[in-house]
Amino acid sequence: MNLHSLMIQSAADATVDKPEGFLGVLATAAEDFISVFNKGGEVLLSLMGGILPTLVVLLTAVNALVRLIGPEKIESLGRAAAQPGIQWYPVRYMVLPFVAVFMLTNPMAYTMGRFLPERYKPAFYDSSVSFVHPILGIFPHANPGELFVYVGIATGITTLGLGLGDLAVRFLLVGLVVIFIRGIVTEAITARMMKKAGV
Amino acid sequence: MSAINNVIVKIGRSVGGVVGTLYQAGRDSVDTTIRNVIPFMAFISFIIGLILTTGVGDWIAQGLTGSASSLAGLLLISLVCAIPILSPLLGPGAVIAQIVGTLLGVEIGKGNIPPQYSLPALFAINPQVGCDFIPVGLALGEAEPETVEVGVPAVLFSRMVTGPLAVVIAYFASFGLYTK
Repeated sequence: MNLHSLMIQSAADATVDKPEGFLGVLATAAEDFISVFNKGGEVLLSLMGGILPTLVVLLTAVNALVRLIGPEKIESLGRAAAQPGIQWYPVRYMVLPFVAVFMLTNPMAYTMGRFLPERYKPAFYDSSVSFVHPILGIFPHANPGELFVYVGIATGITTLGLGLGDLAVRFLLVGLVVIFIRGIVTEAITARMMKKAGV
Repeated sequence: MSAINNVIVKIGRSVGGVVGTLYQAGRDSVDTTIRNVIPFMAFISFIIGLILTTGVGDWIAQGLTGSASSLAGLLLISLVCAIPILSPLLGPGAVIAQIVGTLLGVEIGKGNIPPQYSLPALFAINPQVGCDFIPVGLALGEAEPETVEVGVPAVLFSRMVTGPLAVVIAYFASFGLYTK
């Protein structure tokens, strides 16, 4: 809390009558004005004290893990996912997006599309880009710049005093189902449009 | 003697490699935190401060709470966000999704939206994810220009179907979440 706000607060604590008249209006306006930023500051401090330290440590651990494994290890998975046949759908639109987003993070995950034939590329992009938020609940390293899509709503749950584990796991699992469906739907639409365009 | 030397050098190298990797990982994570995470936290904190102290909160509460605490309302939000003209505009940096998510979070915290709606809401505010980035994302995957031409509308149209569908799936998956 800065000096300015302390000054205004201590003035409010004193046992004198509320200021009246023109100056009184100004004083109330000043208090209202600074109260917005006091509240914002409180929120910022709770965010920085609450999730930030955990996030930094988690980011470090996962970044180190990814570096030690080596992102190039997942290339063979990309090649496997390129094969036609119904059994490769879950690999292409569930396993590969998950692994790519986890290992390569947003936006480098989309480079895994280069192992796939052209007709699968839009669907793979759709599938993997749709996973950069559902993964945040458990693995925030994948997309820390867009953390608040999840954290924004999760903060409300924390305010109520409820645990986040249930929400994070369900978000991830539903996300996997959704990206799978998205991959299939987009692949079908792409195929139709390619036929029309004569590509 | 040289064999022992070799072993020592090998151990030293691999330990150094691991420590170096960990240190670099720490540097990266602090870097992203300072560049990407903290600025957004500052921005979001300001918005939350504004919502909580001014009347804006009540105004938003009336608008959002009604639609965010029923399946129909959430479907409406997701349909609007998935409109092919709107979705690329709403996409960049997921800023819109992050702000709306934060607003909903505040309302959930105040008890205006039941907590089990958090799961479908996460999908309702986000059918536009990546819609601004399709050409770049496809280029990263080394797609041909013809593929990009077909791929952009294909993804956008697909979202019209899969956006609301995701909300429905999340709605059914939220049964038993935060309820007694």
